Amino acid sequence: MKYRFGVLTILAVGMAAFVAPVSAHHSFAAEFDGSKAIRLVGKLTKVDWSNPHTYFYLDVKDDRGKVVNWACEGGGPGALSRRGLAKGDLKLGDTIVVDGYRAKDGSNLVDARRVTLPDGRSIYGGTPGDGGPGDNGQ
Amino acid sequence: MKHLIFSPLIAAAVAVPFLIFAGVEMWGQVNSSPATPGSPGVTSPNAGPSGASGGPGGRGGRGRGGPIPTGPTPRTADGHPDLSGSWRDDGNAKPHGNLGKDYPGFKLPFTAAGEAAHSYNVEHTIDPESLCLPGGLPREDIGDGGFQLVQSGPDAVFLYMYGTFRDVPIDGRKHTEDPDPTFFGEEVGTWDGDTLVIDSIAFKDQKTWSDENADPHSDQLHIIERWTRSDAGHLHLELIVDDPKFYKEPVHYQRSWVASVGGHTREQACSENNFDVAGGHLGFGPGPIRADGTRGYDNPAPLPPPPSKDNPAKTTLQ
Repeated sequence: MKYRFGVLTILAVGMAAFVAPVSAHHSFAAEFDGSKAIRLVGKLTKVDWSNPHTYFYLDVKDDRGKVVNWACEGGGPGALSRRGLAKGDLKLGDTIVVDGYRAKDGSNLVDARRVTLPDGRSIYGGTPGDGGPGDNGQ
Repeated sequence: MKHLIFSPLIAAAVAVPFLIFAGVEMWGQVNSSPATPGSPGVTSPNAGPSGASGGPGGRGGRGRGGPIPTGPTPRTADGHPDLSGSWRDDGNAKPHGNLGKDYPGFKLPFTAAGEAAHSYNVEHTIDPESLCLPGGLPREDIGDGGFQLVQSGPDAVFLYMYGTFRDVPIDGRKHTEDPDPTFFGEEVGTWDGDTLVIDSIAFKDQKTWSDENADPHSDQLHIIERWTRSDAGHLHLELIVDDPKFYKEPVHYQRSWVASVGGHTREQACSENNFDVAGGHLGFGPGPIRADGTRGYDNPAPLPPPPSKDNPAKTTLQ
Protein backbone atom coordinates (compact mmCIF):
# COMPACT_ATOMS: atom_id res chain seq x y z
CA MET A 1 0.00 0.00 0.00
CA LYS A 2 1.60 3.19 -1.17
CA TYR A 3 -0.75 5.67 0.44
CA ARG A 4 0.81 8.11 2.81
CA PHE A 5 -1.77 8.55 5.49
CA GLY A 6 -1.45 11.21 8.08
CA VAL A 7 -0.99 14.74 6.97
CA LEU A 8 -2.27 14.84 3.44
CA THR A 9 -1.54 17.56 1.02
CA ILE A 10 -4.19 20.09 0.27
CA LEU A 11 -3.91 21.07 -3.34
CA ALA A 12 -2.11 24.30 -3.99
CA VAL A 13 -4.48 25.64 -6.52
CA GLY A 14 -5.70 29.18 -6.35
CA MET A 15 -9.17 28.43 -7.61
CA ALA A 16 -10.59 31.35 -5.74
CA ALA A 17 -8.51 33.79 -7.70
CA PHE A 18 -9.49 33.06 -11.28
CA VAL A 19 -12.38 30.81 -11.99
CA ALA A 20 -13.18 29.08 -15.21
CA PRO A 21 -16.86 29.12 -15.98
CA VAL A 22 -17.68 25.95 -17.82
CA SER A 23 -20.73 24.04 -18.79
CA ALA A 24 -21.24 20.33 -18.38
CA HIS A 25 -21.37 18.14 -21.40
CA HIS A 26 -24.37 16.34 -19.90
CA SER A 27 -26.18 15.94 -16.62
CA PHE A 28 -24.67 13.60 -14.04
CA ALA A 29 -28.13 12.21 -13.41
CA ALA A 30 -28.65 11.31 -17.07
CA GLU A 31 -25.93 8.70 -16.83
CA PHE A 32 -25.11 7.85 -13.24
CA ASP A 33 -27.11 6.44 -10.34
CA GLY A 34 -27.02 8.70 -7.29
CA SER A 35 -28.07 5.82 -5.05
CA LYS A 36 -25.10 3.65 -5.98
CA ALA A 37 -22.05 5.07 -4.30
CA ILE A 38 -18.98 2.96 -4.83
CA ARG A 39 -15.33 2.85 -3.79
CA LEU A 40 -12.78 1.31 -6.12
CA VAL A 41 -9.21 0.54 -5.12
CA GLY A 42 -7.13 -0.65 -8.01
CA LYS A 43 -4.10 -0.38 -10.22
CA LEU A 44 -4.10 2.20 -12.97
CA THR A 45 -3.99 0.52 -16.39
CA LYS A 46 -4.82 3.33 -18.83
CA VAL A 47 -5.37 7.08 -18.92
CA ASP A 48 -7.36 8.99 -21.57
CA TRP A 49 -6.53 12.64 -20.92
CA SER A 50 -9.26 13.76 -23.28
CA ASN A 51 -12.33 15.90 -23.85
CA PRO A 52 -15.15 16.12 -23.08
CA HIS A 53 -14.11 13.88 -20.18
CA THR A 54 -10.99 12.25 -18.92
CA TYR A 55 -11.07 8.50 -18.33
CA PHE A 56 -8.77 6.40 -16.29
CA TYR A 57 -9.01 2.67 -16.00
CA LEU A 58 -8.39 0.54 -12.93
CA ASP A 59 -7.87 -3.17 -12.42
CA VAL A 60 -9.93 -3.91 -9.33
CA LYS A 61 -10.17 -7.17 -7.39
CA ASP A 62 -13.64 -8.18 -6.30
CA ASP A 63 -14.46 -10.11 -3.12
CA ARG A 64 -13.58 -13.40 -4.79
CA GLY A 65 -10.25 -12.17 -6.05
CA LYS A 66 -11.33 -11.78 -9.65
CA VAL A 67 -9.75 -8.79 -11.38
CA VAL A 68 -12.16 -6.57 -13.29
CA ASN A 69 -11.24 -3.45 -15.27
CA TRP A 70 -13.30 -0.35 -14.46
CA ALA A 71 -13.59 2.90 -16.41
CA CYS A 72 -13.64 6.02 -14.26
CA GLU A 73 -15.00 9.23 -15.78
CA GLY A 74 -13.74 12.60 -14.62
CA GLY A 75 -14.00 16.21 -15.64
CA GLY A 76 -12.13 17.37 -18.73
CA PRO A 77 -8.39 18.02 -18.62
CA GLY A 78 -8.96 21.73 -18.12
CA ALA A 79 -11.10 21.25 -15.03
CA LEU A 80 -8.79 18.68 -13.47
CA SER A 81 -5.70 20.75 -14.21
CA ARG A 82 -7.24 23.74 -12.50
CA ARG A 83 -7.75 21.61 -9.41
CA GLY A 84 -4.11 20.63 -9.42
CA LEU A 85 -4.34 17.18 -10.99
CA ALA A 86 -1.80 16.98 -13.78
CA LYS A 87 -1.68 14.22 -16.35
CA GLY A 88 1.69 13.23 -14.93
CA ASP A 89 0.13 12.56 -11.55
CA LEU A 90 -1.53 9.48 -12.98
CA LYS A 91 1.12 6.80 -13.41
CA LEU A 92 0.30 3.40 -14.81
CA GLY A 93 0.64 0.75 -12.13
CA ASP A 94 -0.09 3.12 -9.27
CA THR A 95 -2.82 2.16 -6.84
CA ILE A 96 -5.64 4.72 -6.94
CA VAL A 97 -8.75 5.11 -4.83
CA VAL A 98 -11.87 6.30 -6.64
CA ASP A 99 -15.05 7.25 -4.82
CA GLY A 100 -17.99 7.79 -7.10
CA TYR A 101 -21.23 6.50 -8.52
CA ARG A 102 -22.04 3.65 -10.87
CA ALA A 103 -23.49 4.12 -14.33
CA LYS A 104 -27.22 3.49 -14.59
CA ASP A 105 -26.67 0.92 -17.33
CA GLY A 106 -24.86 -1.39 -14.92
CA SER A 107 -21.61 -1.35 -16.87
CA ASN A 108 -18.21 -1.12 -15.20
CA LEU A 109 -18.25 2.65 -15.48
CA VAL A 110 -18.22 5.08 -12.56
CA ASP A 111 -18.30 8.82 -12.25
CA ALA A 112 -15.22 9.66 -10.21
CA ARG A 113 -16.26 12.34 -7.72
CA ARG A 114 -13.16 11.92 -5.56
CA VAL A 115 -9.79 10.56 -6.59
CA THR A 116 -7.14 9.77 -3.98
CA LEU A 117 -3.61 9.46 -5.30
CA PRO A 118 -0.75 7.39 -3.84
CA ASP A 119 0.72 10.57 -2.32
CA GLY A 120 -2.46 11.04 -0.32
CA ARG A 121 -3.93 13.91 -2.26
CA SER A 122 -7.67 13.79 -2.73
CA ILE A 123 -9.01 15.65 -5.74
CA TYR A 124 -12.54 16.48 -6.69
CA GLY A 125 -13.08 14.74 -10.02
CA GLY A 126 -16.58 15.78 -11.06
CA THR A 127 -17.46 17.58 -14.26
CA PRO A 128 -18.23 21.26 -13.64
CA GLY A 129 -21.90 22.07 -13.92
CA ASP A 130 -23.13 18.48 -14.18
CA GLY A 131 -25.40 18.76 -11.14
CA GLY A 132 -23.78 15.75 -9.49
CA PRO A 133 -22.77 15.45 -5.84
CA GLY A 134 -20.25 18.12 -4.94
CA ASP A 135 -20.78 20.14 -8.11
CA ASN A 136 -20.49 23.87 -7.70
CA GLY A 137 -20.12 24.71 -11.36
CA GLN A 138 -16.33 24.96 -11.27
CA MET B 1 -21.30 44.50 -47.03
CA LYS B 2 -19.13 45.56 -44.12
CA HIS B 3 -20.05 42.57 -42.05
CA LEU B 4 -18.19 40.24 -44.35
CA ILE B 5 -14.97 42.14 -43.93
CA PHE B 6 -13.50 40.45 -40.91
CA SER B 7 -10.81 42.16 -38.97
CA PRO B 8 -7.76 39.99 -38.38
CA LEU B 9 -8.78 39.67 -34.76
CA ILE B 10 -12.23 38.42 -35.61
CA ALA B 11 -10.93 36.09 -38.26
CA ALA B 12 -8.43 34.54 -35.90
CA ALA B 13 -10.90 34.26 -33.08
CA VAL B 14 -13.45 32.52 -35.24
CA ALA B 15 -11.40 30.52 -37.70
CA VAL B 16 -8.99 28.80 -35.38
CA PRO B 17 -11.46 26.90 -33.25
CA PHE B 18 -13.65 26.24 -36.26
CA LEU B 19 -10.95 24.86 -38.50
CA ILE B 20 -9.58 22.45 -35.98
CA PHE B 21 -13.09 21.36 -35.05
CA ALA B 22 -12.15 21.94 -31.51
CA GLY B 23 -14.12 23.02 -28.55
CA VAL B 24 -13.28 25.91 -26.35
CA GLU B 25 -13.23 26.19 -22.65
CA MET B 26 -13.34 29.42 -20.81
CA TRP B 27 -10.86 29.51 -18.05
CA GLY B 28 -8.68 31.97 -16.37
CA GLN B 29 -5.29 31.97 -14.83
CA VAL B 30 -4.46 29.76 -11.91
CA ASN B 31 -2.24 30.97 -9.16
CA SER B 32 -0.36 28.91 -6.67
CA SER B 33 -1.72 30.18 -3.40
CA PRO B 34 -2.79 27.39 -1.07
CA ALA B 35 -6.40 26.46 -1.27
CA THR B 36 -8.53 25.68 1.70
CA PRO B 37 -10.56 22.53 2.09
CA GLY B 38 -13.65 24.41 1.07
CA SER B 39 -12.21 25.78 -2.12
CA PRO B 40 -14.14 24.96 -5.24
CA GLY B 41 -13.18 21.73 -6.84
CA VAL B 42 -10.61 20.86 -4.21
CA THR B 43 -11.05 18.19 -1.62
CA SER B 44 -8.96 17.48 1.37
CA PRO B 45 -9.08 14.24 3.32
CA ASN B 46 -11.65 15.79 5.59
CA ALA B 47 -13.56 17.84 3.12
CA GLY B 48 -14.35 15.59 0.21
CA PRO B 49 -17.70 15.40 -1.51
CA SER B 50 -20.05 14.21 1.15
CA GLY B 51 -22.69 13.09 -1.23
CA ALA B 52 -24.81 16.07 -0.43
CA SER B 53 -25.54 18.37 -3.30
CA GLY B 54 -23.44 21.15 -1.88
CA GLY B 55 -20.04 19.56 -1.66
CA PRO B 56 -16.85 21.54 -1.77
CA GLY B 57 -17.56 25.15 -2.32
CA GLY B 58 -21.30 24.62 -2.32
CA ARG B 59 -23.59 25.35 -5.22
CA GLY B 60 -23.39 29.03 -4.53
CA GLY B 61 -19.75 28.96 -5.50
CA ARG B 62 -20.55 29.64 -9.12
CA GLY B 63 -20.05 33.34 -8.72
CA ARG B 64 -16.58 33.06 -7.25
CA GLY B 65 -13.62 34.39 -9.09
CA GLY B 66 -10.96 37.03 -9.22
CA PRO B 67 -11.43 40.72 -8.62
CA ILE B 68 -14.12 42.25 -10.78
CA PRO B 69 -12.82 45.21 -12.77
CA THR B 70 -14.18 48.58 -11.79
CA GLY B 71 -14.55 51.77 -13.76
CA PRO B 72 -16.79 53.10 -16.48
CA THR B 73 -18.09 51.14 -19.41
CA PRO B 74 -15.40 51.02 -22.10
CA ARG B 75 -16.43 52.38 -25.47
CA THR B 76 -15.41 51.83 -29.05
CA ALA B 77 -14.22 54.58 -31.35
CA ASP B 78 -17.74 55.09 -32.64
CA GLY B 79 -19.00 55.76 -29.12
CA HIS B 80 -20.92 52.56 -28.53
CA PRO B 81 -20.27 50.49 -25.42
CA ASP B 82 -17.57 47.89 -25.98
CA LEU B 83 -18.91 44.57 -24.73
CA SER B 84 -15.66 42.73 -25.44
CA GLY B 85 -14.22 40.53 -22.74
CA SER B 86 -14.35 37.16 -21.04
CA TRP B 87 -17.50 36.80 -19.03
CA ARG B 88 -18.31 34.37 -16.25
CA ASP B 89 -21.55 33.77 -14.44
CA ASP B 90 -22.13 36.08 -11.48
CA GLY B 91 -23.63 33.31 -9.37
CA ASN B 92 -27.07 34.87 -9.07
CA ALA B 93 -28.97 33.12 -11.83
CA LYS B 94 -30.74 30.46 -9.76
CA PRO B 95 -31.75 27.83 -10.46
CA HIS B 96 -28.97 27.52 -12.96
CA GLY B 97 -29.74 26.36 -16.44
CA ASN B 98 -33.50 26.71 -16.06
CA LEU B 99 -35.43 28.91 -18.50
CA GLY B 100 -38.29 29.02 -15.99
CA LYS B 101 -36.17 30.23 -13.08
CA ASP B 102 -38.31 33.31 -12.44
CA TYR B 103 -41.67 31.54 -12.76
CA PRO B 104 -43.60 30.27 -9.72
CA GLY B 105 -42.58 26.69 -9.13
CA PHE B 106 -40.34 27.05 -12.20
CA LYS B 107 -43.40 26.13 -14.29
CA LEU B 108 -43.14 27.36 -17.84
CA PRO B 109 -46.35 28.32 -19.67
CA PHE B 110 -46.36 25.43 -22.11
CA THR B 111 -49.00 24.98 -24.76
CA ALA B 112 -50.25 21.43 -25.16
CA ALA B 113 -47.74 20.98 -27.96
CA GLY B 114 -45.00 22.42 -25.76
CA GLU B 115 -45.86 20.05 -22.93
CA ALA B 116 -45.70 17.13 -25.32
CA ALA B 117 -42.40 18.34 -26.74
CA HIS B 118 -40.94 18.64 -23.25
CA SER B 119 -42.01 15.11 -22.38
CA TYR B 120 -40.52 13.85 -25.61
CA ASN B 121 -37.21 15.56 -24.87
CA VAL B 122 -37.08 14.06 -21.39
CA GLU B 123 -38.07 10.57 -22.41
CA HIS B 124 -36.63 10.13 -25.88
CA THR B 125 -33.75 12.48 -26.60
CA ILE B 126 -30.12 12.49 -25.56
CA ASP B 127 -28.83 15.88 -24.52
CA PRO B 128 -28.00 17.50 -27.89
CA GLU B 129 -24.82 19.06 -26.48
CA SER B 130 -23.62 15.55 -25.65
CA LEU B 131 -24.07 14.75 -29.31
CA CYS B 132 -21.72 17.65 -30.00
CA LEU B 133 -24.41 19.83 -31.53
CA PRO B 134 -24.13 23.55 -30.79
CA GLY B 135 -26.09 24.63 -27.75
CA GLY B 136 -27.71 27.34 -29.86
CA LEU B 137 -30.21 29.83 -28.54
CA PRO B 138 -31.53 30.27 -25.97
CA ARG B 139 -29.47 27.56 -24.24
CA GLU B 140 -26.12 29.31 -24.56
CA ASP B 141 -27.66 32.27 -22.74
CA ILE B 142 -29.04 30.09 -19.96
CA GLY B 143 -26.45 27.41 -19.31
CA ASP B 144 -23.58 27.50 -16.87
CA GLY B 145 -20.82 28.31 -19.27
CA GLY B 146 -19.21 31.64 -19.60
CA PHE B 147 -18.14 33.01 -22.94
CA GLN B 148 -15.79 35.39 -24.62
CA LEU B 149 -17.18 38.28 -26.60
CA VAL B 150 -15.14 39.99 -29.29
CA GLN B 151 -16.74 43.17 -30.59
CA SER B 152 -15.10 44.68 -33.61
CA GLY B 153 -16.70 47.12 -36.01
CA PRO B 154 -19.86 45.56 -37.41
CA ASP B 155 -19.35 42.22 -35.64
CA ALA B 156 -20.05 40.86 -32.19
CA VAL B 157 -18.55 37.39 -31.95
CA PHE B 158 -19.48 35.12 -29.07
CA LEU B 159 -17.05 32.26 -28.35
CA TYR B 160 -18.37 29.35 -26.32
CA MET B 161 -17.23 25.93 -25.17
CA TYR B 162 -16.78 23.02 -27.56
CA GLY B 163 -15.85 25.15 -30.55
CA THR B 164 -19.22 26.84 -30.70
CA PHE B 165 -19.38 30.45 -31.84
CA ARG B 166 -21.80 32.93 -33.30
CA ASP B 167 -20.93 36.01 -35.31
CA VAL B 168 -23.67 38.60 -35.00
CA PRO B 169 -23.79 41.52 -37.43
CA ILE B 170 -24.51 44.62 -35.34
CA ASP B 171 -24.81 47.12 -38.18
CA GLY B 172 -28.56 47.51 -38.01
CA ARG B 173 -29.41 45.32 -40.98
CA LYS B 174 -32.82 43.68 -41.38
CA HIS B 175 -33.67 40.00 -41.55
CA THR B 176 -33.45 38.38 -44.95
CA GLU B 177 -36.47 37.15 -46.87
CA ASP B 178 -36.12 33.40 -46.30
CA PRO B 179 -33.20 32.64 -43.98
CA ASP B 180 -31.83 29.14 -43.62
CA PRO B 181 -32.63 27.59 -40.23
CA THR B 182 -29.63 27.35 -37.92
CA PHE B 183 -28.99 26.57 -34.25
CA PHE B 184 -28.51 30.24 -33.37
CA GLY B 185 -30.98 31.47 -35.96
CA GLU B 186 -30.52 34.42 -38.24
CA GLU B 187 -29.24 37.11 -35.90
CA VAL B 188 -29.33 40.84 -36.55
CA GLY B 189 -28.07 43.39 -34.07
CA THR B 190 -28.60 47.08 -33.54
CA TRP B 191 -28.04 49.62 -30.80
CA ASP B 192 -30.85 51.02 -28.67
CA GLY B 193 -28.94 53.72 -26.85
CA ASP B 194 -26.26 51.86 -24.91
CA THR B 195 -28.02 48.50 -25.22
CA LEU B 196 -27.14 46.03 -27.95
CA VAL B 197 -30.34 44.40 -29.21
CA ILE B 198 -30.03 41.10 -31.06
CA ASP B 199 -33.11 39.78 -32.83
CA SER B 200 -32.99 36.16 -33.99
CA ILE B 201 -35.36 34.07 -36.11
CA ALA B 202 -35.13 30.95 -38.29
CA PHE B 203 -34.13 28.17 -35.91
CA LYS B 204 -33.82 24.48 -36.52
CA ASP B 205 -36.90 22.61 -35.40
CA GLN B 206 -36.57 20.90 -32.01
CA LYS B 207 -33.02 19.66 -32.55
CA THR B 208 -31.70 21.48 -29.50
CA TRP B 209 -32.99 22.10 -25.99
CA SER B 210 -33.84 25.57 -24.72
CA ASP B 211 -32.00 24.97 -21.47
CA GLU B 212 -30.22 22.36 -19.33
CA ASN B 213 -33.55 20.83 -18.23
CA ALA B 214 -34.68 19.77 -21.71
CA ASP B 215 -37.27 22.50 -22.09
CA PRO B 216 -38.15 22.62 -25.78
CA HIS B 217 -38.32 25.13 -28.57
CA SER B 218 -39.84 24.93 -32.01
CA ASP B 219 -39.03 26.37 -35.41
CA GLN B 220 -41.31 29.28 -34.54
CA LEU B 221 -38.80 30.49 -31.97
CA HIS B 222 -38.08 34.22 -31.96
CA ILE B 223 -35.37 35.47 -29.59
CA ILE B 224 -34.76 39.03 -28.50
CA GLU B 225 -31.62 39.70 -26.46
CA ARG B 226 -30.86 43.05 -24.88
CA TRP B 227 -27.21 43.24 -23.75
CA THR B 228 -26.06 46.06 -21.48
CA ARG B 229 -22.61 46.64 -19.99
CA SER B 230 -23.35 48.86 -17.03
CA ASP B 231 -19.69 49.34 -16.11
CA ALA B 232 -16.31 47.75 -16.74
CA GLY B 233 -17.10 44.63 -14.77
CA HIS B 234 -20.73 43.74 -15.43
CA LEU B 235 -22.73 42.53 -18.41
CA HIS B 236 -26.49 42.08 -18.19
CA LEU B 237 -28.93 40.25 -20.45
CA GLU B 238 -32.67 40.72 -20.76
CA LEU B 239 -33.97 37.82 -22.83
CA ILE B 240 -37.34 37.22 -24.43
CA VAL B 241 -38.12 33.75 -25.74
CA ASP B 242 -41.17 33.99 -27.95
CA ASP B 243 -42.34 30.64 -29.28
CA PRO B 244 -46.13 30.60 -29.72
CA LYS B 245 -46.13 26.98 -30.84
CA PHE B 246 -44.75 25.73 -27.52
CA TYR B 247 -45.35 28.60 -25.05
CA LYS B 248 -48.60 30.43 -24.30
CA GLU B 249 -46.79 33.71 -23.78
CA PRO B 250 -43.32 35.14 -24.37
CA VAL B 251 -40.97 33.86 -21.67
CA HIS B 252 -38.83 36.48 -19.95
CA TYR B 253 -35.43 35.61 -18.51
CA GLN B 254 -32.60 37.74 -17.19
CA ARG B 255 -29.14 37.18 -15.78
CA SER B 256 -25.75 38.83 -15.46
CA TRP B 257 -22.11 37.97 -15.96
CA VAL B 258 -18.96 39.54 -14.52
CA ALA B 259 -15.71 40.20 -16.31
CA SER B 260 -13.07 37.49 -15.92
CA VAL B 261 -9.73 39.20 -16.21
CA GLY B 262 -7.22 37.01 -17.98
CA GLY B 263 -9.84 34.55 -19.14
CA HIS B 264 -9.59 33.33 -22.68
CA THR B 265 -10.95 30.68 -24.95
CA ARG B 266 -9.22 27.34 -25.07
CA GLU B 267 -9.51 24.23 -27.15
CA GLN B 268 -12.00 21.66 -25.94
CA ALA B 269 -12.95 19.13 -28.59
CA CYS B 270 -16.38 17.68 -27.94
CA SER B 271 -15.93 14.77 -30.31
CA GLU B 272 -12.42 13.79 -29.24
CA ASN B 273 -13.49 10.97 -26.92
CA ASN B 274 -17.26 11.00 -26.61
CA PHE B 275 -17.30 7.72 -24.71
CA ASP B 276 -20.66 8.35 -23.04
CA VAL B 277 -22.52 8.49 -26.32
CA ALA B 278 -20.35 6.14 -28.35
CA GLY B 279 -20.53 3.54 -25.60
CA GLY B 280 -24.28 3.90 -25.22
CA HIS B 281 -23.99 4.85 -21.55
CA LEU B 282 -25.89 8.14 -21.63
CA GLY B 283 -29.60 8.02 -20.96
CA PHE B 284 -32.40 10.18 -22.30
CA GLY B 285 -33.22 13.61 -20.95
CA PRO B 286 -31.49 15.46 -18.15
CA GLY B 287 -32.37 12.90 -15.46
CA PRO B 288 -34.29 13.92 -12.37
CA ILE B 289 -34.86 17.61 -11.64
CA ARG B 290 -34.50 18.67 -8.02
CA ALA B 291 -37.14 20.56 -6.12
CA ASP B 292 -34.93 23.64 -6.43
CA GLY B 293 -35.23 23.51 -10.22
CA THR B 294 -31.73 22.23 -10.97
CA ARG B 295 -30.89 18.92 -12.56
CA GLY B 296 -29.65 16.16 -10.29
CA TYR B 297 -30.59 13.98 -7.33
CA ASP B 298 -32.05 15.52 -4.19
CA ASN B 299 -30.51 12.96 -1.83
CA PRO B 300 -27.66 11.03 -3.41
CA ALA B 301 -26.01 8.30 -1.38
CA PRO B 302 -23.02 9.62 0.56
CA LEU B 303 -19.55 8.64 -0.50
CA PRO B 304 -17.39 6.76 1.98
CA PRO B 305 -15.12 8.93 4.11
CA PRO B 306 -11.75 9.63 2.52
CA PRO B 307 -9.13 7.00 3.30
CA SER B 308 -7.00 7.44 6.38
CA LYS B 309 -4.84 5.39 8.76
CA ASP B 310 -7.92 4.41 10.69
CA ASN B 311 -9.98 3.94 7.58
CA PRO B 312 -7.86 2.17 4.97
CA ALA B 313 -9.29 2.12 1.50
CA LYS B 314 -11.11 -1.02 0.46
CA THR B 315 -13.18 -1.66 -2.62
CA THR B 316 -16.90 -1.61 -1.95
CA LEU B 317 -18.95 -2.78 -4.89
CA GLN B 318 -22.73 -2.44 -5.09
